[in-house]
Amino acid sequence: MTTDSVPASGDPRRLLAEARDLARRVRLAQRVTWLPLLVLALVTFGAIPVYRFGHRVVSDCHVVADGQVCKVEFQAVGFYWLVAMVVAYVVIAGGYLRVARTRGVGARVWPYVLTGVALVVLFSAVPPAWIFRDPTVYTNHPSAFSLFLTRLLNPAGLIGLALLVLAWLERHVALLLYTLGYLAAVLVPINFGWGAGWGGRWGDAPPLVISGGLLLLGSAGFALAQRLRRSR
Amino acid sequence: MTGPADTPPPDETESPHPVTGLDDVVHQRVRLGILTIAHEARRVEFGYLRTQLELTAGNLSQHIGVLEAAGLVQVEKGYAGKRGRTWITLTAAGNAALAEEIARLKLLITRVETASGQ
Repeated sequence: MTTDSVPASGDPRRLLAEARDLARRVRLAQRVTWLPLLVLALVTFGAIPVYRFGHRVVSDCHVVADGQVCKVEFQAVGFYWLVAMVVAYVVIAGGYLRVARTRGVGARVWPYVLTGVALVVLFSAVPPAWIFRDPTVYTNHPSAFSLFLTRLLNPAGLIGLALLVLAWLERHVALLLYTLGYLAAVLVPINFGWGAGWGGRWGDAPPLVISGGLLLLGSAGFALAQRLRRSR
Repeated sequence: MTGPADTPPPDETESPHPVTGLDDVVHQRVRLGILTIAHEARRVEFGYLRTQLELTAGNLSQHIGVLEAAGLVQVEKGYAGKRGRTWITLTAAGNAALAEEIARLKLLITRVETASGQ
């Protein structure tokens, strides 16, 4: 501890470098990256039984060359995502505020939380079926762009979009790279063919297991990295 | 040291040197550190500042007092459980002063590098 201040002036390069280092240390103190990833992983895994056992409304069936295509509405699923995601973002905001207060700094999580909630509410109110007015998107072979957009507007894609905001807020390059990898896995999708043959009521489980698993792994990785950094 | 032969180049006579615009309240290593942390943290606790800047409580209080008197920070006292806590927040004037100081420091570095390159 010093008892007096350093001289008023200094090498401007050194002053700037010190200011940047102090700002970097504050950003590190504000990070609780494992928390949103863990909470969102739990929400994603929680969706699996809702898809499996939730009520479905089947309508507008058309006969096509190799069978029939029907419109299926997952009312319980839509309700689950809306409620679970809003609760998840409230939990994340509360966790960030609590941790930041304990560490003696303010939190910068609000833009992330508001973006996440806004995306979920918006795309719960405006489902992809409204965006793709042309029903042939579903009945024939959809274009790569249609599939990409549909996956992006799904809850797993929206989680990734909101995480991009968090990476920007925290100036967190590792989180940015992780999120890009997560989005690639969700949007391409990267599943190595796993679950392709799972039809019927378990058909939605594989992508949820993959996206939830990625979030859980990310949470564990960031928690471990944070623990290692603090122990140094 | 200076004389007629040392007349500065025309571009330096047109705009004042960045050093002339430096604010003594802000251009001080510890106070610049307080402003930087408060800007980045939105709101910062006294204890965090003390640890990061490696100062005694008395010394830090003096610097915060100077910044508060200049209207650059706002000090708020409260409690976390039974423990007293002091939180420091940057004011709009503090935000502007910090941005100006950083800009002047960058300009100063550019000037020095340009001059040493000639």
